[in-house]
Amino acid sequence: MAVKTLVLGVGNPILSDDGVGIHVARALKGRRLPGVEIEELPASGLELLDCVLGYDVVIIIDSIKTEGGRPGDFYELEEKDFERTVHGASPHGINIATALALGRRIAPDRMPRKVIFVAVEAADLVNVSERLTPQVEARLPEIADFVENTIKEIVSADQKDP
Amino acid sequence: MTGPMINDTPTKTKEKRITIDPITRLEGHGKIEIFLNDAGDVENAYLQIPELRGFERFCIGRHVMELPVLTNRLCGVCPAAHHMASTKTLDAVFDAEPTPTAKKLRELFYMGQYTHSHIAHFYALAAPDFVLGPAAPAMKRNVLGVVDAVGVPIGAEVIKHRSYGQKVQEIVGGRATHPVFGLPGGVSKQISEEERAQMEAMAKSCVEFGKFTIKLFHDLVLGNKDYMDIILNKDAYYLETYYMGMVDKNNKSNFYDGDIRVVDQTGKEVIKFRPDEYLDVIAEHVEPWTYMKMPYLKKVGWKGFVDGASSGIYRVGPLGRINVCTGYTTPLAQKEYEVFKKTMKDLGVTGPAHHTMAYHWARVIELQYAAERMLELASDRSITSDDIRGPFKQPKEGVGIVEAPRGTLIHHYASDKDGLCTKINMIVATTNNYAAINTSVKQAAKALIKGGQVSPGLLNKVEMAFRCYDPCNSCGTHSLTGGPALEIVVRRKDGSVLTTQRNF
Repeated sequence: MAVKTLVLGVGNPILSDDGVGIHVARALKGRRLPGVEIEELPASGLELLDCVLGYDVVIIIDSIKTEGGRPGDFYELEEKDFERTVHGASPHGINIATALALGRRIAPDRMPRKVIFVAVEAADLVNVSERLTPQVEARLPEIADFVENTIKEIVSADQKDP
Repeated sequence: MTGPMINDTPTKTKEKRITIDPITRLEGHGKIEIFLNDAGDVENAYLQIPELRGFERFCIGRHVMELPVLTNRLCGVCPAAHHMASTKTLDAVFDAEPTPTAKKLRELFYMGQYTHSHIAHFYALAAPDFVLGPAAPAMKRNVLGVVDAVGVPIGAEVIKHRSYGQKVQEIVGGRATHPVFGLPGGVSKQISEEERAQMEAMAKSCVEFGKFTIKLFHDLVLGNKDYMDIILNKDAYYLETYYMGMVDKNNKSNFYDGDIRVVDQTGKEVIKFRPDEYLDVIAEHVEPWTYMKMPYLKKVGWKGFVDGASSGIYRVGPLGRINVCTGYTTPLAQKEYEVFKKTMKDLGVTGPAHHTMAYHWARVIELQYAAERMLELASDRSITSDDIRGPFKQPKEGVGIVEAPRGTLIHHYASDKDGLCTKINMIVATTNNYAAINTSVKQAAKALIKGGQVSPGLLNKVEMAFRCYDPCNSCGTHSLTGGPALEIVVRRKDGSVLTTQRNF
């Protein structure tokens, strides 16, 4: 059976680089990847959990800010990379990692077997704008290529070892 | 399981400034700063909340019809509240009276929002303190810890009913997270009988889940002396403020439509105003250390971060709403409201409940009301009518108000004759509460931190004062590092950092 794959662009499309996940998702929609569903999620936490249930593989694209990071750089991360940030003592909402951990606890059968994060280093997460900053926008095609290749690798590995 | 961890052992700190900093992102997060004096007691405490920049500029010159879908982008958590406030503002801008069916559909949608929002707050954010204890380690004191303690089946029920709330929003609003259905004088989408029946079944289940949640709250919190001691702690969690919230013509609580009622510290009505009169009632104070303005009652005046009749600070949200209303229009919520009032009366409280922690109780009562009201509306077969749009006139200026889950939400737009936005002003729920939250944080810090003795548990108890309000401290952003949270910084008198605690 084909791998049920979801690409999920997360972010706020009117908050500069916060919306980079949405911009990448839109770029990928234009590429018409067979068998891949592409969704935009302008929310986080528990809403994200609702979205990923029932898929085999989910690729989440979102913005990130790390100390000393260069805007436009992107990193491939896995769920275990977020273990440190799994917590619930936040004043409002729970983060993506906590939501996924909750899903694995409550509905393990319906959770994707693999979740890959593509985290894009943001320059501006404060100013309201529909546009990405130039540094991030310049890397957009490269990020979309990376996601597309990642999907191809997963599908081909699956065909070899179904 | 062992019992909840109520206290831990404080250690003496040599620092004089403590910061509680949300871990959302490496910048732009909310932060609580606590300043100690030479004796190690709290001299002052501030909560800083970041603001998005340039939203007003972004909206000016756009067509006002775009605003319901733009303003709801302000928040990834309560977009439905912004969409509703914005849609009602367009009713006012275009002088359009929504049709009876449109009103019902909007309110039904909105009850879905309340159901999902209040479930998320109570189970994911409030329950960790009450199930695992305020002093339990942060790595355990979270929604996963709650599931471990109460069991996976209950956790699954939580997720299921929260999703039902989302599903109702999706059916009526077109999309679950960022709805698109509101139009001046109506809504854009008719619903089918099949959809109505589906929503009725989900609403029925939510009413049962509301009952379950109230019982759980009684068992976990009201039945536990340690928690009651925390809730009734007047030194840490008690402010005699004014209260504000929406009511119907009989002064029953209403989240979607009505006038705004303000009561004083004794429960006496100070004013009841229509949305378009808000500027006569509310003024805004500015502090040099934060971008966010602090609304207060104009006629009373700004007296700083203090409570009492001479301070114009008011509270909104579940506690504000329960204190301004005379009850609920649905039977189960009304019954629990009477239990709430009787419990307060037995404690000698005859007017409003000033206990900050009572926010949590009010919130579970509101969850019950939202589910019952959702069932009433979804059971009404007339909601499938095609009478979903009314006429509208030339655009002008208008104000729309709804009760967001976290409090009174005000939108105000002006339009030119072509419908282009010339002015926009919004006062969101957390802004309405901002002065009160600051006062609460300072009060809790002063009561709990003495002689330089701090511990993670004590700092969490300061955070609990903040968490009651369910504040939305960074509307609209949710990058990967995110999951809004808080950092507490404790500082010496000279401003140098003594200790920092982050909940990540």
